[in-house]
Amino acid sequence: MLNKKFNAVVVMASMLVGLTLSSVASAHPRWVLPSHFTISKEGGDWLTFDVTASHGTFVMDKPAGSETAQVVMPDGRKERPDFVLRGKRRSVFDFHFTEEGTHRVQINGTPSYVTSYKAGKRDTQKRLRANKVERVALLPEGARDVSSTLNYTRAETYITVGKPSEKPFPLEGKYLELQPTTKPADIVATEPVRFQLFFNGKAQAGVKAEITRDGTLYRNQQDQIDVVSDEQGFIEFTPEIAGRYILKASHRAAIMNNPLAEKMNASVHLTFEAILP
Amino acid sequence: MKGIYFSYWLLGLMVALPSWAKTIPASASMGVEFELPQVEASIYARPYVAVWIEDKKRQPVRTIQLWVGDDEWLKDLRSWWRKVGRDDRSVVDAVTSATRPVGQHRFTWDGLDQQGNRVEQGDYIFYVEVVREHGGRNYIRQKITLGEESFDLQIAPTEETGNIALHYQLN
Repeated sequence: MLNKKFNAVVVMASMLVGLTLSSVASAHPRWVLPSHFTISKEGGDWLTFDVTASHGTFVMDKPAGSETAQVVMPDGRKERPDFVLRGKRRSVFDFHFTEEGTHRVQINGTPSYVTSYKAGKRDTQKRLRANKVERVALLPEGARDVSSTLNYTRAETYITVGKPSEKPFPLEGKYLELQPTTKPADIVATEPVRFQLFFNGKAQAGVKAEITRDGTLYRNQQDQIDVVSDEQGFIEFTPEIAGRYILKASHRAAIMNNPLAEKMNASVHLTFEAILP
Repeated sequence: MKGIYFSYWLLGLMVALPSWAKTIPASASMGVEFELPQVEASIYARPYVAVWIEDKKRQPVRTIQLWVGDDEWLKDLRSWWRKVGRDDRSVVDAVTSATRPVGQHRFTWDGLDQQGNRVEQGDYIFYVEVVREHGGRNYIRQKITLGEESFDLQIAPTEETGNIALHYQLN
């Protein structure tokens, strides 16, 4: 009797998990949009940032939080935003930029885990929100082809006060990272842009990236640029039209020696502007 | 062998020497007539204007005029800010002045670079960037050759610029 009840709870729980996972499967990309990318005012200036998750560029949609937002200062130290608001379809924060150089504004996620497996006579593909350790208690008997994936997304943008910094920020060495070989303040429409992608601290070939210009709601085609990183992890593309762009790079790979997952699915969502030539 | 290389080097130096070592005449200067046109607009603001010179390697040589009221808007002169302004705050402080009204304006470039040295003879590019709030932006580039011959050049009007005339004079 007790056992039956327990089973019912597990079924209910997994149905609920299934429901939430269906939104994970078609996850809305999270991104940040600054009010300006460049500051020329002596002594610095305030900027405001919108954070949301959506399919359109740049359409506010889902309430992504800004609680983890950080501003990486030109010297590498990290600061927290001054004001954070959370709305129903976006969150907002402001920051007072006063130091000369390149800043990175990042709203990084926390690692989340999904376990996929096959079960039942029909080999139904199923998913659980659980890592390698947690799944032991949750997987049904006879689950097959079990693997857990670590998901991690960086949402970031660069702000330049006065003269851009000479060197890019050092790598964290984890997940997927993008280093702007072309300085973000030097992205000019009609001129080639070069970025380098790293996976767990190493230059990574084969990373797919798509670059989409602002205003997808008002045109029939996405007009996205698709690129794949070369042997040294470099991607190169030319934004033909001045405007604000989002670059979505992602890489999926098997990972070794991780106690919580067999695979990693890591993304970088970079917002940048291409200025008028 | 070494001697041959050396004489090639010397020959190269001799060929290159006249083009890079000779400055424009001490009395040479370039007068600029610059018109801001009348624009019919419901909200009219005086435009931000940058006028500067670059060498043929596209390196900035001298910012001649910079008409911007508040340095918050310097970045709106997108090209000038990226190529010149952001790298050297002292240029801004040295040259910036208030925005100007519609009409004819005149100014002169003394033929000196930003460091105060007389520039070498050769090819340069004369740039104008004009940006108006609630209005448009025009970006003009005009090749000029500075040497021992004077010249007069007319630049065709755009939406945000009227007649621009350059007068390179040797005395």
